[in-house]
Amino acid sequence: MAIALILLVMIAAYVIAKWRKLSVELCMLSSAVAGGIAGALIVQAPPLAQLARHLVEGTFTYLDVILVFCTATIFITIIAESGGVNYVVRGIIRTFYYKRVVVLLLLMFVILIPGALTGAGSISILTVGTPCALALGYLGIPKKRVAAILFIIAGLSAAAPPVNIWAMIISAGTAIPYVGFELPLGIPVLMLGAFTIFVLGWKRESNLELEEVLKDMPDVPAGMSMWRVLLPFLVFFGLVLVSRLLPFTLPILGLPLEFTIAAAVALLVSPKKLNFLILSRDTVKKLTPLLATMAIVGSLQQIMTVTGVRGLISFAVLSTPLVLLYILLILIIPISEGILTYGGAAIVGIPLVWFLDSMGLHATVVIAGLSLIWPLGDGLPPTALIGRLTIMFTKYEGTYWSFLKTTWLPWIVITIIGMLMIIFSSELSFLVRWSM
Amino acid sequence: MPVVMIIYYIISAFIAGLLIWNFIREKEDRQKMLLYLIVITPIILRLFRIR
Repeated sequence: MAIALILLVMIAAYVIAKWRKLSVELCMLSSAVAGGIAGALIVQAPPLAQLARHLVEGTFTYLDVILVFCTATIFITIIAESGGVNYVVRGIIRTFYYKRVVVLLLLMFVILIPGALTGAGSISILTVGTPCALALGYLGIPKKRVAAILFIIAGLSAAAPPVNIWAMIISAGTAIPYVGFELPLGIPVLMLGAFTIFVLGWKRESNLELEEVLKDMPDVPAGMSMWRVLLPFLVFFGLVLVSRLLPFTLPILGLPLEFTIAAAVALLVSPKKLNFLILSRDTVKKLTPLLATMAIVGSLQQIMTVTGVRGLISFAVLSTPLVLLYILLILIIPISEGILTYGGAAIVGIPLVWFLDSMGLHATVVIAGLSLIWPLGDGLPPTALIGRLTIMFTKYEGTYWSFLKTTWLPWIVITIIGMLMIIFSSELSFLVRWSM
Repeated sequence: MPVVMIIYYIISAFIAGLLIWNFIREKEDRQKMLLYLIVITPIILRLFRIR
């Protein structure tokens, strides 16, 4: 009863902060502080004198993820600013304009790569959103469908390997190593991405000549070539591969350092002179809400643990009948993302994986299945992180809900695939073995 | 201290520097200033090896 009261105080603090028009990150911080104070007063945990220590200590939980976010986004921004993204999109349109299957698949890959490397679908929209939206528009796809394609594929890109923040958070919180996710995440992401782009982008509603399209597309800096775009990616994937193949010969570099080396290569081969400091400063500025979310989610998690609220939620998950839990997941997972962004993985995901693991399901495949459903919540209020960015970058002028309604079919299919992966995780465990 | 760890300290210092730069440049949005401080905190504490 006392712990339920603390949970109520936390929810009330979130609602009041939202009513006072604070950002989502500060709403979560208010909730953590209020929960800590309530815990200190009601159950004497944490002691009031220790509250600040717990809040600060929590911010360290995802420090490694913060470093990955920063270095990966600086890397992909260098590629975009040097004209690499425009070069690739222009090349795809020029070569495959009349081969619809190929052009759609290639554009899907272009949208998937930034999010897959950074773990944030919003980065896909920020870096390749505008040129890809233009290219999809030139292929005769109406704006509403272009927005829906970008939103769903950017969401899937966040779930795609090598960096999946939901999986990283749950792995860190459940002591499951973040390995073996490549195939359980990669295969469904590619299948669902292809399904989405074909379902929403197959029908052509207008027809432009190739010359007209190329004239309208953004210019590419002189001297840009395919090897200048490919070399930084080859260096990055090469480092990832070599560290896997020679684990006892090479020192462990880690993703942030691998991204930093790739960023240095991208900067060296850029045909355009880039101001690295200004570019990095502006990138970190854009990233700050995401970075703060990671830091605050750590604090929130620490407070929920010390006050017993996390245990209460775990107990609620444990005591829910399995069939009812599966049905509720369809709603709980996207809604938790819409309210808490990545915090949903820490608060709902960790006890859920503990529970499903104890039921004999394969934890890695379960996490992969959940990670497919979480990005859908990035279109739901109050945060609607990717959804709002998509509307902004595609310049869609209709209502937000009309755009969201267009995503209904991929939304349902993604949910079904995610749920099937959870339910049949033991049967799919060979994907994890093949990834290692 | 291994070389890789030294490089990580340099990367962290660089990111902390960028956050401080943005914090100083931010004149109006107090919520954003608070977010910068929240993100800087663990990085600075780790850099000075307090935590």
